[in-house]
Amino acid sequence: MQSRRTVWLLLAPALGVYALFVLWPIIQSVRFSLFVGSDAVGGHFVRLLLRPDVRFFRALGNNVLLVLLSLLIQLPCAMGLALLLSGRLPGRGVFRTVFFAPMVIPTVAIGFLWRFIYQPGWQGGLLNQLLMLVGLGTVDWLGNPGIDLFAIIVTVSWRHVGFHTVIFLAGLQGIPEEIYEAARIDGATAWETFRDITLPMLRPVIAVSATLSLVGSLKYFDIFYVMSPVGGTRGSADLVTTYMYRTAFSALNYGYGSAIAVTLLVITLLVAVPAMRLLQGRRAQ
Amino acid sequence: MKSRHTVRFSIAAVLSVIFGYPLLWMVLTSFKSRAELEASAWSLPTRFYLGNFRDVLAMGHFGRYYLNSLLVCGVSVAVASLAAAAAAYAFARLRFRAKEALFLLLLSGMMIPVHVTLIPLHRMMSSMGLLNSPVALIGPYVAFALPVSTFILRAFFESLPREVEDAAQLDGCSPIGAFWHVALPLAAPALATVVIFNFVYMWNEFAFALTLTSGTATTLPVGIYEVSRSSFSTHVPGVTAGLTIGVIPGLIVYFIAQKHIVKGMTAGALGG
Repeated sequence: MQSRRTVWLLLAPALGVYALFVLWPIIQSVRFSLFVGSDAVGGHFVRLLLRPDVRFFRALGNNVLLVLLSLLIQLPCAMGLALLLSGRLPGRGVFRTVFFAPMVIPTVAIGFLWRFIYQPGWQGGLLNQLLMLVGLGTVDWLGNPGIDLFAIIVTVSWRHVGFHTVIFLAGLQGIPEEIYEAARIDGATAWETFRDITLPMLRPVIAVSATLSLVGSLKYFDIFYVMSPVGGTRGSADLVTTYMYRTAFSALNYGYGSAIAVTLLVITLLVAVPAMRLLQGRRAQ
Repeated sequence: MKSRHTVRFSIAAVLSVIFGYPLLWMVLTSFKSRAELEASAWSLPTRFYLGNFRDVLAMGHFGRYYLNSLLVCGVSVAVASLAAAAAAYAFARLRFRAKEALFLLLLSGMMIPVHVTLIPLHRMMSSMGLLNSPVALIGPYVAFALPVSTFILRAFFESLPREVEDAAQLDGCSPIGAFWHVALPLAAPALATVVIFNFVYMWNEFAFALTLTSGTATTLPVGIYEVSRSSFSTHVPGVTAGLTIGVIPGLIVYFIAQKHIVKGMTAGALGG
């Protein structure tokens, strides 16, 4: 005995809030990007993409680097940690607590904490004091345009490795012990067991991790905004989101900021939708 | 075999010291005086110095930040969980037009960068006079929690046997009654996942809070941000004291409820 009213009553709260705070703002963003503060309709996009805006493309390039390095650093590290923590290990609970802790801390706190770690010697400057101790020179980690991006990516990885470790651990738990037993009887080495059993069995969760990492890196904001208040030297540590935020809320250029935001949305959907499709296909298998 | 365990343990121990040291350093430095820190960043505090905490408590309104965070996260999590459960139940059990399209529309929110909505939401809240009230955060937090929550809860409702609800409806329950009295209580484990997952995200949320609130109206992350930024270059131990105040209570909750939090985060990430 379901009526239209029932369906409507159940769906209305969720769809209403979603429409008001997600869909409507997106429509507004498109409108601002076309009509606010530009001489001609679409003028912002001409300036952004065709002229083109070097700062924007540098930020986009940094996003691409963040995507690649996140995949190449975080996932292998997380795999190593998950393998380490899944076996018999005294004090396993304590180790897990330590490795997972960064994922529940506010990103803002992490950003400032790591700014101190990267400071020049006299203020905090944990890393540089260590370098001096072993007789090496100091590095201006966050003030150097060739280094700042990578220094921040290390921090981002520190925060997120635990998250992927948790996902991999859940995947490892799903592999039946009997398969390992059989491999042991067949005399497989540890590496063979990993390559031929663990890795293929973990494929679905690795796909989930990779997709989350990809989508998350494209829209990353927090730690970069905190650690690089002006986006590095001429945008050396800018991401699309931080560039957009500063354009809109520091330079108060709402129209151009909206154009950057809309472009980011299009890029994210172009990349994320096929990735999600791939993931769903994998899951269905 | 024994030696292999020792090797594993040593690797884990070394890694966890490197991994955990930034947080340990934060707490240790918060008890050091400025002179002590300038002498060495690596030294241990020589005495239990509380001046940094005094300084930072005079600068920031940490009580307010915590209160605002609890209010915003509590209300948002409750509203999002209930709204998502209702929608998920409809998507799992009822038949209606454009069902798959509506579900996909909602699901796409998982990919949409929240930053696309910042400028319009800033204007919207400003015109509603809600700018600089923590209430402004509730709408966006609920909205961006809905996609993943609905996804998880729909999968859970689909896994429930239909018979129980059918029996309830035969006993004269309306579909809404069957949802409220039968399906929702059964969904407690999935709801727990949704609540934990969303709470952790909202507790740490920065971009919306930075855009829509400030001063005493803001939540903990932006409170930490404002205090840290204002004295970053002048009072390092004071900032670490502020970070400690802002981080440690959350970490203690995490230590106590670690099992549930990790389970909730995993289930949330893997879709229930």
